[in-house]
Amino acid sequence: MKKRILARSIAALAVAIGSTSAYAHDEGATEWRLFVADQASPTVSVIDATEKALIDTYELSGPAALHRTSSGQTVFAVQGSQGRVSAINTGIAFHDHGDHADIDVDAPERLDIELTGERPAHFVEQQGYIAQWFDGEDEARFFTENSVLEGQPEIRTANIEAAHHGVAVPYQHHAVVSIANPDDASQRPIGARVVDFEGNHVGEDVACPGLHGSAGSGSLYALACQTGLLIISTQDGTPEIEHLAYPASLPEGSASTLLGGKGLQYFIGNFGPDRLVIIDPSQGEEGFQLVQLPTRRVHFATDPIRPRFAYVFTEDGQLHKVDVLSGELTQSLRLTGPYSMDGHWNDPRPRIAVAGDNIVVTDPAAEKLHFVDANSFEEVDEMPLEGKPFNIVAVGGSGVSHHD
Amino acid sequence: MGLLRAVFTPLLVSMAALSAGAARANEPALKVVASFSIIEDFANQIGGDRIALTSIVGPDSDTHMYEPTPADVKAVAQADIVLINGLMFEGFLARLIEASGSDAEIITLTDNAEILQDPQGGHYHFIGDKAVFHAAPEDPHAWQSVSNAQVYVSNIAQAFCAADTAGCSAYEANQQRYSATLAALDDDIREQLSALPESRRTAVVAHHAFRYFENAYGLTFLAPQGMSTESEASAANVAGLIDDLQAQQVSAVFAENISSSRLVEQIATEAELPMGGTLYSDALSGAAGPAPTYEAMMRYNVATLMSALTPP
Repeated sequence: MKKRILARSIAALAVAIGSTSAYAHDEGATEWRLFVADQASPTVSVIDATEKALIDTYELSGPAALHRTSSGQTVFAVQGSQGRVSAINTGIAFHDHGDHADIDVDAPERLDIELTGERPAHFVEQQGYIAQWFDGEDEARFFTENSVLEGQPEIRTANIEAAHHGVAVPYQHHAVVSIANPDDASQRPIGARVVDFEGNHVGEDVACPGLHGSAGSGSLYALACQTGLLIISTQDGTPEIEHLAYPASLPEGSASTLLGGKGLQYFIGNFGPDRLVIIDPSQGEEGFQLVQLPTRRVHFATDPIRPRFAYVFTEDGQLHKVDVLSGELTQSLRLTGPYSMDGHWNDPRPRIAVAGDNIVVTDPAAEKLHFVDANSFEEVDEMPLEGKPFNIVAVGGSGVSHHD
Repeated sequence: MGLLRAVFTPLLVSMAALSAGAARANEPALKVVASFSIIEDFANQIGGDRIALTSIVGPDSDTHMYEPTPADVKAVAQADIVLINGLMFEGFLARLIEASGSDAEIITLTDNAEILQDPQGGHYHFIGDKAVFHAAPEDPHAWQSVSNAQVYVSNIAQAFCAADTAGCSAYEANQQRYSATLAALDDDIREQLSALPESRRTAVVAHHAFRYFENAYGLTFLAPQGMSTESEASAANVAGLIDDLQAQQVSAVFAENISSSRLVEQIATEAELPMGGTLYSDALSGAAGPAPTYEAMMRYNVATLMSALTPP
């Protein structure tokens, strides 16, 4: 059922518009939803982040890594152990009109679409183009978000020569795919190449030893290597890859998990267990900055609304605010009991998502979500959530809602 | 690092200003940030060696689509003056200013210029083959008429004088000199284009960046509007546009330096029209290109138009 936004939003001032309009008046509206995967039982909970109320729960086949698209219309639940990828329509859609965006809010909906395959792993989305990697298969699959929302994903594939734990980055007519280690495909990939969907290689292969971790920011996409980053840009729609080496001034180490800034074009990655590295590719070798953490890192996230800041959660139960300009931890807040990074990599530990003015942190041991005000950096609320709330993504934002 | 520098549109520090600043180490430079390359050139013309100038969006780059970097934020944080076009041209500006915490003077250079309403309420940009609608009630590409460029430089001179009274006479002298250059440029453009017959005054460009040029100099530019904002440009969309072109005496199709030429090349092929070259719309070229300054850009565009539109 269509839910027109009610006047609980931050700017719910009715504005009369011209008589030629189909609508009687407009309202500013804000809506945020959280999607939380449970590690104890295979479910995804959908939560109204404003009301802190459960909207729905969807059964899955196994524990899921969650990925939201840049539009926020779709969340994908990658269930690697069960060989399945499920899709959820978040119910929140924006229609961009340049100077403003309209927001439509419907009930969320588990879509009747499921990809099955051998060990689905890395998921990458850019501008509505999606690449789903399967570690156990020798081709990556590509489709559009629109085709998923329309119920009929049109799958294209690109051959990757040998099954391996790699990644594909989707573009309209091309993809960038990792290159398997020719001596042992179970080892990390050795590089990346541009391919099209007719089986052709475009340009030269680019070395990227120990490739692992990828992220997009602005017009760039980056792949992390032991030697630096591969930076992918596009010229006339065709991806081009350039290697950006770690400068000699950095200590030994490399990133294997990357995130991209939203609103600012930068990348942030792990650099050993207790450091982060902030990378501004526009500054070349001068663009690398290390952030020292007080203990080992558990999780980190960028803030899409306050682009100057990122957040990192550490083993001692603290959430830290990172100024990406200075590379300093500007504020710290104890939220949970300690979480050790020893043990299985996939043990449930806190994860971070930013939903409007709230930083939301899952606390699987305490079976709750913590809500931290992003501006005051104080905990403002908690929400009990049974099970082991683990992976989390947030979708939503503000827009104009047209009323009849 | 060649591609990185070209693609990532890094901050371009005026080497002239740097060297001059070093020579006058006792005199603090006015720290100026220009939002994109055309404004950077205007600021250089007026500020000369009295300013330390940084540009955010570099040559051959699309300001509409730009994503600022941490280095941009730092530059704005340290600036005395930030020069912007306004009219929603710099979509990144609000978050850049907010992230910087800057208290610099923000000078909108289109203030007091003759501004055209956008009859379609916006215009299209292209990412690959995808048309993206940029809605704005007023057309931001005001620099494409030289008379408006005069307003830009007048606003810059006033802003520099207000912030650096000791340098005001130098700024005003520079403005006087450059204003004469612009007046001569305007006369040259009118004289050259007057040679085109009415039947050779219509062309196709990738996006509607040339309405001010059209309005000032009597040419007509069509752009592939009407295409879906939600999806890729389809063959049916292009076919519809081509039907329109054949009825409007279009003489040539032009690419733009800031975007892919793939779509306009497709239009030219299907409409059996010649590609007339590349026009510089929303950004200058690099120093080695044909349009490294505003004056060079306008002269290059006119030469390109004349070459393609002059009857054989």
